Amino acid sequence: MGSAVRTALIKLCEFLLTALLVSFFTFAAFAIIPGDTARVMLGPEASEEQVEALREELGLNEPLAERYFDWLGNAFRGDFGNSLSFGNPVGDLIASRLPVTLGMSLIALIFVVAVSFPMAAVCSRNPGSIKDKSLSTAGHILFAIPPFALSMMLILFFSKVLHIFTAGRYTAPSDNFGAYLVSLLLPSLCIALPKVAMTFKFLRASMIEFSQGDFVRTAKSHGLSDLRIMLKHIIPNSAVSSVTVISLVLSDIMGGSLIVEQVFNLPGLGRLLLSAISRRDFPLLSGIVFYLAMMTVLLYFLADVISAMIDPRIRDGRAA
Amino acid sequence: MSYKGHILEVKNLCLSLCNADGAPVRILNDLTFSVRSGEILGLIGDSGSGKTMTALAISGLLSDFAQADSGEIIFEGEDLVKKSPRERRRLLGEKIGVIFQDPSSALDPLQTVESNLSEIISLRSKNKEEGRERILRMLKTVGFENPEQIAKRYPHRLSGGQRQRVLIAGAALMNPSLLIADEPTSSLDTVTSMSIMQLLHEMCQEMGISILFISHNLNAVRNFCDRVMVMKEGAIIDSDTSWDIMGQPKSAFTAELLLKSKLDPKALGISRGVAQEDAPVVLSAEGISACYKNTFFKKAHTTPVISGISLEVKEGESVGLIGSSGCGKTTLVKTILGLIKPESGTITKSGKIAAVFQDPVSSLNPAHTVRWHLTEALEASGRKMSEDERKNYFLKILEDVGLSGKHLTRFPHQMSGGQRQKAAIAMCLVQEPSVIIADEPFSALDASSQASIIKLLSDINTKNGTTMLIVSHNLRVIKAMCSKVIVMDKGKIVEAGDTDTVLNDPKSDTTAALLKARMYEA
Repeated sequence: MGSAVRTALIKLCEFLLTALLVSFFTFAAFAIIPGDTARVMLGPEASEEQVEALREELGLNEPLAERYFDWLGNAFRGDFGNSLSFGNPVGDLIASRLPVTLGMSLIALIFVVAVSFPMAAVCSRNPGSIKDKSLSTAGHILFAIPPFALSMMLILFFSKVLHIFTAGRYTAPSDNFGAYLVSLLLPSLCIALPKVAMTFKFLRASMIEFSQGDFVRTAKSHGLSDLRIMLKHIIPNSAVSSVTVISLVLSDIMGGSLIVEQVFNLPGLGRLLLSAISRRDFPLLSGIVFYLAMMTVLLYFLADVISAMIDPRIRDGRAA
Repeated sequence: MSYKGHILEVKNLCLSLCNADGAPVRILNDLTFSVRSGEILGLIGDSGSGKTMTALAISGLLSDFAQADSGEIIFEGEDLVKKSPRERRRLLGEKIGVIFQDPSSALDPLQTVESNLSEIISLRSKNKEEGRERILRMLKTVGFENPEQIAKRYPHRLSGGQRQRVLIAGAALMNPSLLIADEPTSSLDTVTSMSIMQLLHEMCQEMGISILFISHNLNAVRNFCDRVMVMKEGAIIDSDTSWDIMGQPKSAFTAELLLKSKLDPKALGISRGVAQEDAPVVLSAEGISACYKNTFFKKAHTTPVISGISLEVKEGESVGLIGSSGCGKTTLVKTILGLIKPESGTITKSGKIAAVFQDPVSSLNPAHTVRWHLTEALEASGRKMSEDERKNYFLKILEDVGLSGKHLTRFPHQMSGGQRQKAAIAMCLVQEPSVIIADEPFSALDASSQASIIKLLSDINTKNGTTMLIVSHNLRVIKAMCSKVIVMDKGKIVEAGDTDTVLNDPKSDTTAALLKARMYEA
């Protein structure tokens, strides 16, 4: 067990180091790109003296390193300063938009896992069969449709043809949790479908490989049925390698939600980000980017931890 | 042993597989034989003769695309060919057990030994406590002294021999009436092989299990089986009791197979490479230790894999390096080649050192032809040649190793194991080395190919005067080829000297154990 604890500690150190580096690059990027925050705040009418006074007040004249450590210290307390365009603290703004983005990502993830695993299992049983070919083709088509096009097609179909959905209607989870879930269902589907195709394609290949493996042959020689072999051996083994793919997909899902929120007119993080960009709201922008980057780093860290939980070889510090 | 009836009868079995172009190729040709209850029946033959296909056909583990064309497989009075796949699978769990060649990946890496084995029990009984008891008892039966700990272990923490024992335990837990063992020891070292075969023998006698033992290891078959069948091109061409078949083979093919497997230096026309009195030392190592380093964050292993190794190889001689698996032979080879940096000690070499490795399948790049491999080796050696010169040079080298010009454009998968190993040796020769290090160059090959590779390496040694360092766990090969031998155990050299002296009068327990296991080696 000693090696498992050590592996976990090493992973944790790697995570903290990555998080620190990412935070530095985020901060440096916003310090380097053109556009003076003080000038933006005061508008083009303001005099040079007024701008200089505000720069002094905001601490923009301090050296980069000093500003970074100040910002980092505040960021760890959840304080990213106040938004220039909204006037509210950046942390509060992000928190208010989280239910939409996180909710959609989670529903999409559940959908991806729930659909791609069974699909891949069915296909890998008889590669090259009619079932396999038609599911694979369907996957390819879904993969090729961009999310915004898919969103519009689904909105048209569900609201104009079936009349069971109204685009742009959003209920907060505190008001009515059921209605909240329903309002996120269709947009989540739009994000999930291309990812289902991607995950399915990967899982199918890995399950086919495992089903020809030696330990599956052993299980067959023990007299296990195909279903039990699938559940006990093939799915857990392909889950190990798919954890990494799913963590990639999940960070992609968060990116994908930016566009889908726009199409479905949902008050999520993506729309907040877009408005921050168009209004040159640097505190808000850096806050959101920092948050998204941290989420991605955290996801990869979780993926490593989960892989180690499933695979004893990773716990022992060996490659799978 | 009771010889009352036949547990398995295979009658006129024909089986075809589709090749890459989709044309059917006959693999088993009118195969007829039977296994008597309670006997161990050996099945030998060169690779590609259809031995493994026979095992798969009987056990019903063939892929859906390969099915018997005609014939019958009668097991305990019922024809298996007529049964549905589901019925055959059920039979596998109850009456027929199978163990395979390579134990390294035959256990699910995500599950403990107990969980890997419990699937066999849970098919038959729901009582978990009792199942656990049975597993622990069986692990003890197959020779584990600490079954409780082994049961909790994951496969990657077991050695090859231990994994094969676990797999045998699995097959025995089913209490089958027939056990098909397909080359169960060929990836294990000699000492481990011997113990595995003794275990199988005990199971046959004590549990009354009939065993179909497939091997290309003629010595193992001779000492272990009641009867032996010889297979060639999908048919049985010879069968008799094992003493008779080994003593007085009826067919010319069997006689040839026997001759090759004996590795008789006279019959092969090979002699040992001996150094001249005043020959210079071409390779020497003094007090080297090495260990495997881990990543940035982790400490290196505190115990070195090899330590305090000193050796000296003179020009023109042929030195054998022996020891059971895990003793550090390969680590030593890698250190000499410069693939691992030694922790301490010095290595002095004059001239180039080239290497041949065990597995000719993975040591050639599957995407490239023999010509590409030879060109790469030539460029690596730093010599420049014109297009014509190069072609003639390659043709000469290929001829030297027993291949021909047509092999230049072949890809690795288009050649047999023996041909691939010859191509790997040709790559060595292109570099014009002063020393060739061959790490288990024969063990992945069948008897016929082994004999030809041994002859080739021996000729390179005696005729070209290239120094050889041959790593093997096969004493027969070492005895035929090497004038000196070095014995390793647990990372240290335990004995070294003249081959005859060391092997006839072993001073260390390691050498004695290796010699004792010799009757089972290929």
